[in-house]
Amino acid sequence: MLEFKVSPLTKIISLSGFLAMGFLLVTLSCALFHNYYPLYDVLIFLLAPIPNALFSKRNSSSATFMSDSGMNSSNDFASFLTGMLVTSGIALPLVFRHSQLITSESCVMSMLGGMIIYGSIVTFSWFFNSSWDNEEDDLFS
Amino acid sequence: MDTEANPRLFRLPFKLPNSATARRWGVYFAGVLYALGFWLFLDAVIYSKHANASDVHVTFIDWIPFLCSTFGTIIVSSIEKSRLLQGILSSEGGGLGYLGGDMDSSMAWQARSVLFLGFALLAGGLSGSIVVLIIKFLVKDYTSYPTVGMGVNNVLGNVCILFSCVVLWIAQNMEDEYSYSLTL
Repeated sequence: MLEFKVSPLTKIISLSGFLAMGFLLVTLSCALFHNYYPLYDVLIFLLAPIPNALFSKRNSSSATFMSDSGMNSSNDFASFLTGMLVTSGIALPLVFRHSQLITSESCVMSMLGGMIIYGSIVTFSWFFNSSWDNEEDDLFS
Repeated sequence: MDTEANPRLFRLPFKLPNSATARRWGVYFAGVLYALGFWLFLDAVIYSKHANASDVHVTFIDWIPFLCSTFGTIIVSSIEKSRLLQGILSSEGGGLGYLGGDMDSSMAWQARSVLFLGFALLAGGLSGSIVVLIIKFLVKDYTSYPTVGMGVNNVLGNVCILFSCVVLWIAQNMEDEYSYSLTL
């Protein structure tokens, strides 16, 4: 099996590069057209990973096998909120474009930038949730 | 394979998705649909404020169907599903019904009436948005597109919220059925 090992430092640097690129795209979409409405998109995409992060932590600490029904419902609420926030982040520039508040270039740029920001945050948490176990293995072997 | 426990000759040729993951994706999809409905409606509002060339504007009347649909969604999705199940079992009189007794049936009656209120709010929101579309736009001959789009967006948004509620209901009931069969 081909072992493709990336050190955690490289991961952090490349992910922060992606994050900065997303912020750059959104800021550029505001600043190039002197119209700072697309900044709301950053706010929504920054809020989007929060519900899942909060509720999944609480869930894993008390990981009994589906005995608690309250656990399931709060988890549901978190995923409902996640879906809602991600869709609103994508829909917000389109709505602004339709009401002629921003131009279509700025709409595309802010959508792309917001999705890059959200994707890098999700990938960050995903990498480092999974790699903690592996790193422990590396330490003790 | 666990075929020795299963005396049937045929089996399903494809694997059904795991119940928990299917539920999770269903809930995500419900959230996506709700946000879609919300933004379709909000699009009409912002369009009316900033880019409207006609003399029709979105007023509080247009907000009422959206608020009805949202309250209906909250009521329907926050009701405890096991109460309904309890009610069905006790009203049939067989099985576990005699264990609960009178309190179960009154609780189930309450749950059912609240559920009916929720579905009535949802249906009222949808039909109210259609009424707003007809009375405010179509009757007064505002039938060209960028103007009538505000009414059409209202209807589409309410349809999306209704579907979000339906998807959420199906996803949660799927999981309930699974855990119910697990406990039996």
